[in-house]
Amino acid sequence: MEDRFKYGVSLYSFTEDFGSVMSIEEGFDHIADTGATGIEILGETHVTGYPTPDKAWLDRWFGLLDRTGLEPTNMCSWVDTKLRLGQSLSVDEGAAELVRDLTLAHQLGFKFLRPKFGVISADLVPDPIWAPAVERVLDLAHKLDIVICPEIHSPTPINHPVVHGYIDFIERTGTKNFALLIDTGIFQDRPLKSWVHEVPEGDSDHAKLINGMKVNPEELVGIAPYIAFIQAKFHHIDDNLHDENIPWEKVIPVLKRIGYTGYLSSEYEGVREPWVAIDQVRRQHVLLRRLEAACDAVPA
Amino acid sequence: MYEFQLIQSTGFRNHGPEGARDGVEVRLRLPNYRGMRLSLLDGIDVTLDGEFFSHEVTSLILGGTVYDLAAMRDATTVRWAMGEHASVLVPKPGGLLPGIHHVKVAALVRSPYFPPHLQPLPVHGERLATIVLP
Repeated sequence: MEDRFKYGVSLYSFTEDFGSVMSIEEGFDHIADTGATGIEILGETHVTGYPTPDKAWLDRWFGLLDRTGLEPTNMCSWVDTKLRLGQSLSVDEGAAELVRDLTLAHQLGFKFLRPKFGVISADLVPDPIWAPAVERVLDLAHKLDIVICPEIHSPTPINHPVVHGYIDFIERTGTKNFALLIDTGIFQDRPLKSWVHEVPEGDSDHAKLINGMKVNPEELVGIAPYIAFIQAKFHHIDDNLHDENIPWEKVIPVLKRIGYTGYLSSEYEGVREPWVAIDQVRRQHVLLRRLEAACDAVPA
Repeated sequence: MYEFQLIQSTGFRNHGPEGARDGVEVRLRLPNYRGMRLSLLDGIDVTLDGEFFSHEVTSLILGGTVYDLAAMRDATTVRWAMGEHASVLVPKPGGLLPGIHHVKVAALVRSPYFPPHLQPLPVHGERLATIVLP
């Protein structure tokens, strides 16, 4: 149905499995078996030979897409502004990183690219080269039919100068090739029970990351026209199919109301152990599909 | 494929000519969920049976090349790829005796998208590992 969500899974979900107990072939199979139609990847993690995979790997990639019927959705990338100690990347260098990843994403068939820019402050304001660097590659993104999506991710809420800056950029340039990616971790409203994040205890953002940002999902309404992709971040779904951290029963109705029909791409980020994520992702797909069906059953 | 733990069992060995060992190699999986350019790694601290070796004295063997801390910081075009092993070279004359040893590492990783005060962040590994040959 045209007005339904599309369901995908990010291979990032299998971070604790990938490379030690899971190959890319197995990752594809686990995703396809959920009934998902899309696969999301991290370029530097999942593409052997990144950023220039050889022909054998490319044959493998396209063979897997054919066999599973999955379509490439979003490729995650990084603009490592602090690649060197003491000297940040220039605009030229930042743009070159984007060209590198747009080119690879296009080669692999992706429609979205999420570059993560280095930041300059504790509240994660991106390095100011982001705007001129992105502006330089908008024509290329247009030619390759790729939407560049900065990620709105905890601890940055929706109503924040960083997000306003992205929206101003879209309005100023009039581009269709730059839009927002929402990570649903911003809606987390109950504390994580078992999760060791990279951020140490006592850090100012530690409480936010453990207890949740508690962004009101209604705030999606104000940015609806700018949303291109959703990473359905979650941490634990219990044996009764109850998400312990993300209030999906509040998020999904808002997404239906604003007419979102893009991807919900599962991004499991729970306990750092192998063999957990595969079933957690399956649970999330049942939960999300049930909520969507319940919304569809009620006349608007 | 990697072993799951950061510190790999295989590859934990003495370094240098037999009878004249000059160090210990501690093989690691990539201490990050994404492949990274080597200049984002700010060295690796190692503790062998309680003896501490700072990231300023250890080096890294990646793809057959040995990088000390200064060389690592300059390596903006060298990539430690996902799936690729590397070994920390710990300068310990004589090496370690065959047997089980307590090994601790802290790989100092800079993630430019983290707040500036959290760069680098240590990625920790700790385990018992076995040296087979003298």
